[in-house]
Amino acid sequence: MIVCVAVVGHQNNPLYIQSFTEADDALKLHHIVHCSLDVVDERVNNPKKSGPMLNETFLGLLYPIENYKVYGYLTNTKVKFILVTTDLDVKDADVRNFFRRFHSAYVDAVSNPFHVPGKKITSRTFAERVSTIVKSFGFSSAA
Amino acid sequence: MDPARTPLGQMLLEEITPVVMVLSTPSVEETCLKNGFSFLQMLTPFCSFNNIDVPVRTASDQPYRIHKFKLRLFYGSNVRKPDLKVAEEQLMQVITESGEKVFSELCSDAPKINQEHASSEDRNTPSWFQFFNKELVRMASFSDHEAFDHPVACLLAVSSKDEHPVSRFIDLFNTNKLPSLLKDGAMDPKILKHYLLVHDNQDGSTDRASKILTEMRNTFGASDCVLLSINSSPDAPIKHQDNPWASQICDASPDQDLGCFLNIDDINEIKDLMQDLSSKHIIPNMEQKIRVLNQQVSATRKGFKNQIKNLWWRKGKEDGVDSLNGPMYNFNSIESQIRVLGDYAFMLRDYELALSNYRLISTDYKIDKAWKRYAGVQEMMGLTYFMLDQSRKEAEYCMENAFNTYLKLGFVGQQNATRCGLWWIEMLKARDLFKEAATVYFRICGEDILHSAVMLEQASYCYLLSKPSMSRKYGFHLVLSGEQYKKCDQIKHAIRTYRSALSVFRGTTWSYINDHVHFHIGQWYASLGMYDVAVKHMTEILACSHQSKTTQELFLGDFLQVVEKTGHTFEVTKLQLPVINISSLKVIFEDHRTFGSPSAVNTKEGLWHSLEEDMIPSFTAAKTNWLELQSKLISKKNTQSNVCVAGEAVKVNIEFINPLQITIPVSGVTLVCKYSTSTDELTSNANELSVKTDNEVDHFRDTSSHNSSFLVSEVDFSLGGGETTMVQLSVTPKEVGTLEILGVRWKLSGAIVGFHNFELSHPKKNIVKGRRKAKQSPNEKFKFMVIKSIPKIQGTIQSLPGKAYAGDLRQLMLELRNPSEFPVKNLKMKISHPRFLIVGNQENVKLEFPGCLTKKSDSVQSGAHANPNMMSETVFSFPADTSVQGETPLSWPLWFRAAVPGDISLYMSIYYEIEDISSVIRYRTLRLHYNVQVLPSLDVSFQISPSRLRIQDFLVRLDIVNKTSSESFQVYQLSSIGHHWEISLLQPPEAIFPSQTLMAGQAISCFFTLKNSRRLSTLEHNISTLPLGSDVLLVPQCSEDLVYNTNNVPLVNFHYFERLQQKVLHEDLGDLNTVDLVLISRPLNSSISPGLSDPPHVMSHHTCHLSTASTGPISWLVDGPQTLHHDFSASFCEINLKMHLYNSSDATAFVRIDTTDFDGSGGHMNSVNAIQSATPDNQAGWHDVTPVTEIKVTPNALEAQPGKVVLLESVSPYIWSGSSSTNIHLEPMSSAEIPLQICVFSPGTYDLSNYVLSWKLPSQVLGDSDETKQHSGKCQGYKYYLTVLQST
Repeated sequence: MIVCVAVVGHQNNPLYIQSFTEADDALKLHHIVHCSLDVVDERVNNPKKSGPMLNETFLGLLYPIENYKVYGYLTNTKVKFILVTTDLDVKDADVRNFFRRFHSAYVDAVSNPFHVPGKKITSRTFAERVSTIVKSFGFSSAA
Repeated sequence: MDPARTPLGQMLLEEITPVVMVLSTPSVEETCLKNGFSFLQMLTPFCSFNNIDVPVRTASDQPYRIHKFKLRLFYGSNVRKPDLKVAEEQLMQVITESGEKVFSELCSDAPKINQEHASSEDRNTPSWFQFFNKELVRMASFSDHEAFDHPVACLLAVSSKDEHPVSRFIDLFNTNKLPSLLKDGAMDPKILKHYLLVHDNQDGSTDRASKILTEMRNTFGASDCVLLSINSSPDAPIKHQDNPWASQICDASPDQDLGCFLNIDDINEIKDLMQDLSSKHIIPNMEQKIRVLNQQVSATRKGFKNQIKNLWWRKGKEDGVDSLNGPMYNFNSIESQIRVLGDYAFMLRDYELALSNYRLISTDYKIDKAWKRYAGVQEMMGLTYFMLDQSRKEAEYCMENAFNTYLKLGFVGQQNATRCGLWWIEMLKARDLFKEAATVYFRICGEDILHSAVMLEQASYCYLLSKPSMSRKYGFHLVLSGEQYKKCDQIKHAIRTYRSALSVFRGTTWSYINDHVHFHIGQWYASLGMYDVAVKHMTEILACSHQSKTTQELFLGDFLQVVEKTGHTFEVTKLQLPVINISSLKVIFEDHRTFGSPSAVNTKEGLWHSLEEDMIPSFTAAKTNWLELQSKLISKKNTQSNVCVAGEAVKVNIEFINPLQITIPVSGVTLVCKYSTSTDELTSNANELSVKTDNEVDHFRDTSSHNSSFLVSEVDFSLGGGETTMVQLSVTPKEVGTLEILGVRWKLSGAIVGFHNFELSHPKKNIVKGRRKAKQSPNEKFKFMVIKSIPKIQGTIQSLPGKAYAGDLRQLMLELRNPSEFPVKNLKMKISHPRFLIVGNQENVKLEFPGCLTKKSDSVQSGAHANPNMMSETVFSFPADTSVQGETPLSWPLWFRAAVPGDISLYMSIYYEIEDISSVIRYRTLRLHYNVQVLPSLDVSFQISPSRLRIQDFLVRLDIVNKTSSESFQVYQLSSIGHHWEISLLQPPEAIFPSQTLMAGQAISCFFTLKNSRRLSTLEHNISTLPLGSDVLLVPQCSEDLVYNTNNVPLVNFHYFERLQQKVLHEDLGDLNTVDLVLISRPLNSSISPGLSDPPHVMSHHTCHLSTASTGPISWLVDGPQTLHHDFSASFCEINLKMHLYNSSDATAFVRIDTTDFDGSGGHMNSVNAIQSATPDNQAGWHDVTPVTEIKVTPNALEAQPGKVVLLESVSPYIWSGSSSTNIHLEPMSSAEIPLQICVFSPGTYDLSNYVLSWKLPSQVLGDSDETKQHSGKCQGYKYYLTVLQST
């Protein structure tokens, strides 16, 4: 199950962060997402690790923490997508697929002329779309 | 890098060294205590040897040398596993103490992240961290599964004072008192013993001691017995320059000199003793043992045969004890011996040997499932690999293996796991693998909260040190650590870690985390009683609009609680609650411009400026000689600051926003101002500014207390969740001087005072009034020069309706007051929309409205004469003797007429001069602004067409539509304006308006005849005379008295402006051929809707410039018989006609009439049907209702006559028999008559429109001419039907 998704701007400022748990663990998830940025930075600044896939946006598993696994995705505009999940056996393909859909949702959201770049994404449509994607993530991995 | 030089290497060289067990008698201790320490403490400083050179030969034949060596001394009673509880408590104390120490050192502000990074090398390892780690390592010492803590020697000390010293020696090494390690058989009790006789020189000579020594030597052997004489210094205490004990015993009181009775000889003696002990006894002894053990091990375990045997033997033991610790191993078991061999080799730094033995034993333990021992060996293997500086991977693997194995053991292995982890971390750190080290720290965190707190903190520093530094993880782990510290009540540590974490999160937009950190720091400071700092942190989180409502309540509640606890009203400069919308800031002040209402303030300055242009004397013009000095002063001061008048409020509009979802009470919102009496202050302020910023808060506080020279208003309000409130604050200076508005202060929830400085945060201001001085520095915008009180006129328009119906005419009253005692003069007024609002006369005040409008009252007739001048003058000057002063207001009548529907903004500006010429401001203007909504009422339109019966007669059709939704009106009167027009009804009014009212939505038409009564003879002077109208009453049974006089004030004035207005709209064709009509209506009182507070009385609708000359300046009329009888059998019929021509233009016109005979499309019509069918085609025209003939009016004669009936007959039914073309010059305003004749050949009805009338006006004088003005034209004749009948 996905517990949290986040969009982080190129200055590492949170643009959108949404948790999908009932528990009041927003702070914890904020911390996890925030920490994962360190790993993203590390991945980005260590080109030898990214190796052949120079233009790869998917960063893969960033790090496991407690019961969570954190996945990252980096767009060309240095906007980061973070996914925190509790699933222990996640297929990379699923995560890639998720990020691809998430990315397109994000692109649509920021293409809105009323969206101020660098400001938080407040679009309700975006939120709905993301939650749909998140829900379908569980199904597709089960199937 | 030499592993021995790394911190871990150093640590190992210090920690994994041979242990010497010290056993001493009480009298020995007593002797030592004289110096302030115990026997062991006395020896300790001399246990590490940095400068020795001892050859060592272990298993191999090749000797090597040891240059550094260390012994660890322990009392026999301490050679056991440390008591966990005591150790924990000790650790806790260490932490608490360091917490206090560090906390007090903590600088006021958390260092920035980059500073942090620079200083992190030192900060990474605060001394107490190392100490703590060392203690943790020690907690795992003296375990039975490892041999390096096993004593290699025993130092027995007996005092020369003791009775039977020799037997005491034997007693000391009594097995009963020995530590469990030796008793239980975990280690060999046959260890090296060293016998030391301690002699106190203060007790007497060494005679007795030497005697005992001899005795000892006989008993224990010569080499193992030593005499140590101490306290040789006679009574006078000695001060040692660099006290070797000082670093050892920290809890000694500083005034006591350690080792005060030990002189240099004593110290040297001790030194020699220890060096002797190590190099001559311990090391050789260990060498010896290594060799012996090595031989044994080789004999039993080395070689193929032994290996097989060992394997077999192990297998057999498989079903043995499977306890947690595995089987017990005696000291003489081969496994123990291998371990001892390994450890000894390690201690003597023969790492190769150690490693081979560890490897050997490791597999055995594994097979035996002796996990703790296995882990211990793995641990040592890791360390050995490290010391050998080879196979890093192997080393780490071993450490990890050991660590995991210890962890698996659970509680038993906890201390060992911690120790192993710490070593591992050091190993990683030595290789700059900080990130990995951090994860190990993270794993060490056990159940003990305090330990994990410290470990997490250390982990965080590791993250910071790692390359690239991971500051976010640093922050995160600091927060985690702080949380743990908090849990075990180490609040000071918690605050410290959180504050460090703050440096990571500060300035980021991760507000949840920021809030959390600030909130907890605040809470913790509060719990320590440091409320001031707590408040500082709590204020950071007040504007937490992103948090949930409950969190907001919690934050605010806690904050207020803390503030309350501070005991005084707290004052902060940047209180975030409520948020001040600085861009909404507006400063409103009145210098020479004063305002009647807030809406007047908001009107653009440019609009007022253009309105007042004519009234206000320009500055340069005003510079008369005797005022020169004055005006210089003004200009100089004006460039520096704004001017305001003492006693008049300066207002500041500012918006407060509540970002939270909860209601917050805000009280005591006032402006913070600074007042200075001297104008010199103005210049000195610039220097003062820098000082001011430093003690800003003090400054704010000061000014709020002494406010004798100005008054500030105070506003209280409550802001609901998410609300925004615009607040108007004012400051009223009372004395002449300089006033500066610094900022705004408010009180939140009655507890905390917030300030907002206008200047420092936002240098750019939106000052409405300051445009003229836009170039001045921002500071100046809030600075006012207060000048002495001058009169200020207040004015209102009484009873101006907010809503009115179009056409509504009413009398209003302008009231002016001057509350001050100073007189004003030279009042002038200008109104922006004279079409709506005009100035009346003073005499009008007493008139009754609307009665004064009727012709009955002729008193105002005279006033009308002055009008043309007044109307052209847009500025109205009040009479010179007008005075406005004191209680009684000046009332002046105004006339209001709602001219057109729509929303109208009426602007008025009243100018007045101050008689007191010494004042800086010499004149002022009062600006009034009113909005009137005008609703549509009657839609009036007129259509004028020339009559065909009489020349210069016109038929007027009036269409009225009531556009209101509910009102009913009585159409009262129609008047024509102008001297030469007479209007009269075609029908009696009863016929038009049976009900006398026009209901809402109703439309009605009625007809009038309009007569041009102008005579040629009156042409000249008629123009100059005043227009006189003629009126038609549309209401029956009305006396002439009640006819409204449209030539009277104010109708005539409004008409003038109407004309002006409509002139622009219309294309003016000819001045003289237009007529202005005024329709006056009255609302029926009964039908007035309650929505209008003040019902209208009279409504006038003006329609101007209605052109009568639809066909050009020439009008004509064909006059002749309409029916005649003729006997066609006799001859054809000749008919004479007359054409009347009239030139209505003011120039001589050239007119030509061309008659044309039928050209195939002419108009003989036999049937009446044809006529009738022709008429509907021409619907645009108007038809005279003359019963016999149809007169065709061509509305647009310039075009070819449309809709002409195509006739069947091609033969011309009649011919023009007169001249086919007539030319005539027609004098202006004159008429002429032209005879025409036709011949008709058969009876029938004939249309005599077969002629064309061309006219030409001489071209106008250059410049005067309008391009579009018509100079010539051609008109088709209008239909004139003539019926000729066969006479019988």
